[in-house]
Amino acid sequence: MFWRFIIYSIIGLVVLFLMIVLGDYGPWYFAWIVGTIMIVLISAAGGALMDTQEGEGKISKD
Amino acid sequence: MVPADIVSPAVVELSRWQFAMTALYHFLFVPLTLGLSFILVAMETTYVVTGRQIYKDMVMFWSKLFAINFALGVATGLTMEFEFGTNWSTYSYYVGDIFGAPLAIEGLMAFFMESTFVGLMLLGWHRLTKVQHLVVTWLVALGSNLSALWILIANGFMQDPHGAAFNPFTQRMELTSFMSLLMNPDAQAKFVHTTLAGYVTGAIFVIGISAWHLARKNHVELFRRSVRMAALFGVISTVGVITLGDALGFIDAGKQPTKLAAMEGVWNTEKAPAAWSIIAFPDQAAQKNVFDIQIPGLLSLLAAHNFTSPIIGLKELEQQAAVRIKNGIPAYDALTQIQQMMQKDPALANPAVRAKDPAMQKVLAQFKAHEKDLGYAYLLRRYTSDLNTASPALITKASHDAIPLVWVIFWVFRIMVALGFLFLFYLIWVSLLSLRGQEMKSEAFLKLSPWMISLPFIACEMGWLTAEMGRQPWTVYGHLPTWLSASTHSVGYMVFSLIGFVSLYSLFIVIEWYLMFKFARKGPDSHETGTGGGSLAGEPAFARPAQRLNRD
Repeated sequence: MFWRFIIYSIIGLVVLFLMIVLGDYGPWYFAWIVGTIMIVLISAAGGALMDTQEGEGKISKD
Repeated sequence: MVPADIVSPAVVELSRWQFAMTALYHFLFVPLTLGLSFILVAMETTYVVTGRQIYKDMVMFWSKLFAINFALGVATGLTMEFEFGTNWSTYSYYVGDIFGAPLAIEGLMAFFMESTFVGLMLLGWHRLTKVQHLVVTWLVALGSNLSALWILIANGFMQDPHGAAFNPFTQRMELTSFMSLLMNPDAQAKFVHTTLAGYVTGAIFVIGISAWHLARKNHVELFRRSVRMAALFGVISTVGVITLGDALGFIDAGKQPTKLAAMEGVWNTEKAPAAWSIIAFPDQAAQKNVFDIQIPGLLSLLAAHNFTSPIIGLKELEQQAAVRIKNGIPAYDALTQIQQMMQKDPALANPAVRAKDPAMQKVLAQFKAHEKDLGYAYLLRRYTSDLNTASPALITKASHDAIPLVWVIFWVFRIMVALGFLFLFYLIWVSLLSLRGQEMKSEAFLKLSPWMISLPFIACEMGWLTAEMGRQPWTVYGHLPTWLSASTHSVGYMVFSLIGFVSLYSLFIVIEWYLMFKFARKGPDSHETGTGGGSLAGEPAFARPAQRLNRD
């Protein structure tokens, strides 16, 4: 568990470092990475929200 | 490079038509692959997080349509890689050192990463765990979009050359900085603009087919969720497309003034703040707009992001081109001398020998002093082999070539922009309908949406026409004219191959439409919706043992 934590932390730091470099030299590439993940997650959240809305009866099922 | 021969203008035009047709056909498939792949990612992420079968059914249905499109997209893309060599051999020689690397990586991304994982994504449901399958779907989407990245890096170099220098001894451009090529601002903005345009295309495609089924009350739960997810996916993407379109215009304003002036129909230099033409009918021969409705001050804001920048008109740009042609003649002359000297004395191929040769050093100094305008001298080379004796009238004639075909660029750009804003309003409307649960009650939505499917494809094609026609008369802006880039084929060969490509690709389009209509209308297979039934009692993947296979 400890080593897994260390390895993931190192991976996280490397990713952060690369993102900072990318942010400096390729701001639009950086925006694409962050933006695409955001778009996917908001879309996914929209699906989950629909489940909740239906479950709470806030929108009809058909 | 000193051209040995003049390629027939008819062959150049036919080569342009052939590349334009194959690229435009290919780009009927690409945006959907770029967008639908990430919509599948969103659907599958929801499936893995919530564990609900309905989201898996959605992924399985939409991935079928994705697969049809993907296969034809790869098939149509293949030929373009070879066209650079067959029809644009001078171009390939001139910039192959720079162009080759991104093109090769694009091929590796498309055929190794993307295609391998597509197989796993489509056929690996029973071989992989949920999380493993989700990772594969992410990799397909990343592979698709990253293969677009590399071709757009190559295109970015054509629009605004970065990271390369011309070598007068090899007579071609050579790579000086791969990082500079990769981080080219034009390539960056174009990549994000293009991929986001693909996301919008994917979103409107999903909404359109879903609306068709919802109007017939088929698989209501599945298609309502598809509309919800695609609408939210699309609305944010459209904001991004518009933002990046503005960024790309800003970059072009600085780097490709002729493209900007053609896009905006600016013939005479406009003092700040320049007015923006909503509607105009540019007359190329008279160099004016026949009819012009303008909004004062807006063009400076759009192109330069301020109210203090003037916009240089096409007439002034043409005069600047004439000056650069004259300045480029000594560079061309020096290049000819270098070529002759090296043919006479092959020992001059050795840099150490060249460095000690005073005659060579003198010619090299002449070349360096005028190097930046060498490309413009090539515009004149089209009309005469002896540039030193070219008359002012001939230089003026050559400078006319520096201006692209204005009316086409002006209008295709406006169609693209108008469609972009239409998508924004449409997707906001669909998102609101879906969030309020009223999409089934809106007749307008159910009837209109299937007809919307074709529009993003048209917008994407208009975008490419703006980018590529706006770059004319160059294949590499300011460095290599289009007329010089083509291969020396015969007219008959070009006509034959053009007819062949158009016929074959038209057949591909018919096959695509037939398969798309067939499977889209058919809807999800019974086995896709039979097991889950959309129960809310889902089982999140992360609550399961990691290695449990995805057999539901």
